[in-house]
Amino acid sequence: MITHFITNVSTRFNPFSAGAKSARLFLTSLPPSARANGMSIVTELLPRTSTAASTLHIKFKDGKQLNLDCENLGIKSIVEEVDRHSRALQKQADIDG
Amino acid sequence: MPPRIRCLTARGLGSAVNTLRIPSRSAALLVSSTSTASSTPRHYATAVAAKSGLTLPVDYVPPTKPPTARPSDVRKSQLLRTYTSLLRSTPLMLIFQHNNLTAIEWAAVRRELRVALANVPLRGTEPIDFSSNISLQVIRTRIFDVALKVVEFFDPLKVRPTMARTITGSRAPVTYNHDLSKSAYEAVKEATKGDSAQLASTPYGQLAPLLVGPIAILTFPTVSPAHLAAAMSILAPSPPAFPAPSRKKNPNYYEPVAQSGLQKLLLIGGRIEGKVFDLDGVKWVGGIEHGLEGLHAQLVGMLQSAGLGLTTTLEGASKSLWLTMESRRSVMEEAEKGPEPAPEAAAEVEKKES
Repeated sequence: MITHFITNVSTRFNPFSAGAKSARLFLTSLPPSARANGMSIVTELLPRTSTAASTLHIKFKDGKQLNLDCENLGIKSIVEEVDRHSRALQKQADIDG
Repeated sequence: MPPRIRCLTARGLGSAVNTLRIPSRSAALLVSSTSTASSTPRHYATAVAAKSGLTLPVDYVPPTKPPTARPSDVRKSQLLRTYTSLLRSTPLMLIFQHNNLTAIEWAAVRRELRVALANVPLRGTEPIDFSSNISLQVIRTRIFDVALKVVEFFDPLKVRPTMARTITGSRAPVTYNHDLSKSAYEAVKEATKGDSAQLASTPYGQLAPLLVGPIAILTFPTVSPAHLAAAMSILAPSPPAFPAPSRKKNPNYYEPVAQSGLQKLLLIGGRIEGKVFDLDGVKWVGGIEHGLEGLHAQLVGMLQSAGLGLTTTLEGASKSLWLTMESRRSVMEEAEKGPEPAPEAAAEVEKKES
């Protein structure tokens, strides 16, 4: 996953629900030096009895925001969505030099 | 040179158990063929072994390595045994998700944890310092999942003995009820094949959704709320109950490596005495004052006061009657000086009694 162009990651999930899997796996796919490179990662844990859907909110360097519903999307789909925009930004960065 | 006899080493025993069996007859043939050759003057270790008759049948099952449902000499089988032992012996366990901590960050986190736990005051008449036995370890999630199932659904006491072959060739009843045995495997399979709703109500089912992704567990050898509070204030600080240490008292906590490592750790739940707790539950356990003895004392005090309340209520009626009688008696004693009010008092007392 290309994470170079992500500036903010904000997620909330109930770890005891099955729908939290994608959100948690997204957090694990961020590189170890993410925070050192300026990415802000905020996680909110919902209580055990909460039935709210798990959400993932991502902001990119060009200002684009993605709101992903983790209940229905698997981790592969989430990574695909994020990478799609990141690849566009990558192309732009390559052109600009 | 006499032909080499296939000596069964520890490694070889494993392969002997798992691979196709060569019938014992061929092993006997091997013995007979080598005995003819053993008349040569040269005595190698193999020839000496043949002479003394030390040959094991290929399907020999050593008593220290019972038959297993899965290969027992691979790392994950041994990890499974480690985890089942851990689950049975650890009353307090916190579950963390760790997101790509580097080795240096792990070292910093463990250092801070060690320092904080060493500073916890010990309780009791003969305090045992177990803070060195509290460890934060990364575990293999899938194997831990299987270990949880084994601990939950396999009862070693319910295993029936089977007939196993001994060295002499006779058969003896043996109970194979270790965690890697076929009975354990079948018990787990039986318990997990049913409907998922029933499984979700078991402690395993409640913990199962947590076991996703990279997991680390913090294990305590005993339920000590004081140590839990110290660990929480380092690993998952949440003021006001578990404040992070102040910068003046603990400047190493705020160094960038330690901080970046701690930010990647996420406390998602806990397993306390076999029951599953979420973050709020773990905070509640950590907030118990004066440890478990304090909790017992509170319970005892509550029970005693409840009994006292009941006794007071039951005795109340007779007490009030006695007080009334006592007051009337004192009044009557005063009235003896004057005989006229006395019969009236006696009449009033009779009215009250009726």
